[in-house]
Formats: sequence, structure tokens, C-alpha cells
Amino acid sequence: MGLSLSINGDRATPSADPITPLVDVLREELHLTGVKPVCREGFCGACMVLVDGTPTLSCLTPLALVENCEIRTAEGLSTNGVLTPVQAALETADAVQCGMCFPGMVVSLTHVLATTPSATRDDIRAALTGNICRCTGYERIVEAALTVVRK
Amino acid sequence: MQTAMAKGSIFVARSLPDALAALDDRGPTGAVFAGGTWIMRAPIRHEPLAANYVAIGKIPELTAVTITSETIEIGAAVTHAALAAALDGLPEFAVLTMAAGRAANPAIRSAATIGGNMATTQFAAADCVPALLCLDAEVELGSPEGCERMPLVRFLAIRSTLAPGRLLTRIIVQRKGRNSAHARLPLRKAGDYPVAIVSLAISCDAAGRVATARVAIGSVEPIARRWERLEAALIGHPIEPERLAQLAREFADDFTGRDSVEVPAWYRLSVLPSLVRRAATAVLAGA
Repeated sequence: MGLSLSINGDRATPSADPITPLVDVLREELHLTGVKPVCREGFCGACMVLVDGTPTLSCLTPLALVENCEIRTAEGLSTNGVLTPVQAALETADAVQCGMCFPGMVVSLTHVLATTPSATRDDIRAALTGNICRCTGYERIVEAALTVVRK
Repeated sequence: MQTAMAKGSIFVARSLPDALAALDDRGPTGAVFAGGTWIMRAPIRHEPLAANYVAIGKIPELTAVTITSETIEIGAAVTHAALAAALDGLPEFAVLTMAAGRAANPAIRSAATIGGNMATTQFAAADCVPALLCLDAEVELGSPEGCERMPLVRFLAIRSTLAPGRLLTRIIVQRKGRNSAHARLPLRKAGDYPVAIVSLAISCDAAGRVATARVAIGSVEPIARRWERLEAALIGHPIEPERLAQLAREFADDFTGRDSVEVPAWYRLSVLPSLVRRAATAVLAGA
């Protein structure tokens, strides 16, 4: 019997070893491939998920430490297929490039705009210091986030 | 790229006695798991994981910051983010607030703990180590036999040889009315390891002359340490950033820089005078 998790509102009991990084459980057992194992060092942010509402690096988080926590991945941010304001703004701004960093970007932006509704450009840039875009598309991403603040 | 993780157990302790008993029970096969931001990267460093981890991040008494008029006491499992938030608005601890609040990136700061920063022997670039050295911090170690308090300097000297079952539980800092500052140079503005760190804590007499000084240098050598020759040269003089920078240039051979893939050893030494100047300027601004 594996540990019991809550992922995007559903219960799951993955069979992986308790030291297994959460990113691998999400991708390999639960097929939530929005979360990306890119650097596996906590530098790039492509594996970012929300754990009890806090942006968390799933590459550095072992399965054992998220038992009974509320985990939300990029796939679980919207409801009924309707884009969240952050997702819609990013689409409108045509901010998505190669897509590797993007689920993590969306998770970090979702958190900062939820906790700081009047976030400034500097607040948004600071919140994204752990999300690296190798396409260097930061300006459009930040601009898109600011449109959410202005609405 | 998927990096294989060896199988291992994690016991998630819910109280300090539980954690100490579990570590004692596991003996040499056991190890403490705090934030995990270093341990989980073991496969990338081609290092084995321990067979049995004892996780301490969910123990209430280890995740508390207690601030009184005399001391601050920091549980070993307090995260960088929680520490920076708890110390916000206490100018004396600006050095520690900045060390905890600017290290790495936001998600790392929400996971990485102050105890992990102190106890990770191989992590030369830990921001909170020099910050706590310049505040004359003490640490408390727990074991089933009881607890022992010692200066952080002593802990840094013995941490790689601690007997199994001993756990860093608290960091204690006396409040002494100092002014402090933390200057660091990462290769990028944020999110990177610092090339060098200067932590500074100073108290002045009524005439504005330095009465006590602590300067600690991190990331330049494998283990952070105080710069005692520079400290001695500050006593009795006003805080003059340019003079401090000049002294740092004169005394730079007190350190032997470490080479790494990020920067050569000489570069770490070459930035010290600028960082000393920045730290001194920040102390003056906060005085």
C-alpha cells in the first residue's frame, strides 16, 4: 500500500519508493507530464507544483513528505476546461515559446498573483527568479502577468 | 534525463523525542533529512543516499522562531523564507534577514532549512553560515542523552565527525544592539550561488567609533570563517567603507580561494574588497 496523496483534487496511492522525487511520481505513475524534470537541482523551476498552496520544486521533494498534502500541478489549475486568468493572459500575449519552462512559470505566476493581487513588475520578476526560460521570453511573460493585475 | 534514486526509507518524525529515538535506532545507517534541497541532489553529485532518513521538517518545536528581548532562538527546521519573515523589522539582524531572504530562489527558500545550511559540510556557499558567525551564534545539539550547546565556530569544526544520533536542534543568537549587513555576489542577480559573501556586525561607542566588530567570509573557502585581522583593524575607528575596502585588499592573502567550475579561486578573493565596502555602507545606512 503506497502513500496517499491528493493531486488536483483526486486521491492517488502511488507505489514508488518514499524517497522518489515527486516529479517522477507525477510523470511516470500519474502521467501528469506538464511537470518537467529539467535540471533536477532546483535551479530551473520547470518542475514547480503547488503543495498546500506553496510553490514547490517537485524534483527536490520526496514522495514521503507530501503525504496528505494538497498537490496541484499545471494540469489542475483550471476548472471545466476554462483557462485561468493567468493562462488566458499568457495565451493572449502569445508568451509561450518552446513550452519547456511554461507549466512551472504558470504555477509560480498563479501563486504570486493569488497572494499579491496588486503585484508590481518587481514582485513578479522576484517571484520568477527560480523559473528559467531558455528562450529568454521573460518580458512577454511579465507583461502578460501585469495585465492580470491591471484587470 | 532521469537520475536513478536508490531505494531508501524516510521516517517522518512528529516530535523531537521521536526524531532522536529514530536516529539513535538507525545508528550509522541513519541520516537527518531537513529541507532536502541538498540530499535530493545526491545522484547528480554521484553520491549514495543514506539507507534511512529521519525527516525533521514537520516537528513543531524545530520549526519555530522565538524572539525575546534577550535572544532569538531558531529551530533547525525553520526554512529560509520563514526565518526572513520572522526577522523582518529587526535591524540588528539585517545580516540574517538578507542571508535567508536572498539565498537561492523563492521555492528553495521555502524548503531549505537553517539547520541544513549549518550542517551540510560540503556546501561552501551557504549564506546563513557567515551571517550567523558574525552574530556569534551558538547551536544546540540533541541526542537521547540530552542536549549540548556550543559556539557555531566549534560546530563547524566538528560537524563532519558528529556521532550518529546527534541532531542540530536550535540556533541561539544573543541580542546585542549591533548593526549588521550581508553582501553577496552571485553570478546572476538572483537564484545563483554567491561567489563570495561578506557578513558584518558592528557596534559603536558614543563617539561613533567601532567598539566590537565581526566580519565573516563565506563561499571563498570550503568553510565560512571570521576575518579576525580585519575585525581587529576596525576597532577604535569610525566606519569608513573605503578604508575597510583598502584593508580588505591588504589582508586578502588571509584567505585561500577555492576553485570551482563557476569561478577560479583568484576571482573569489578579488571581489572581497568591494563586498566589504558594500557591507560597511549598508551598516552605516542602517545605523
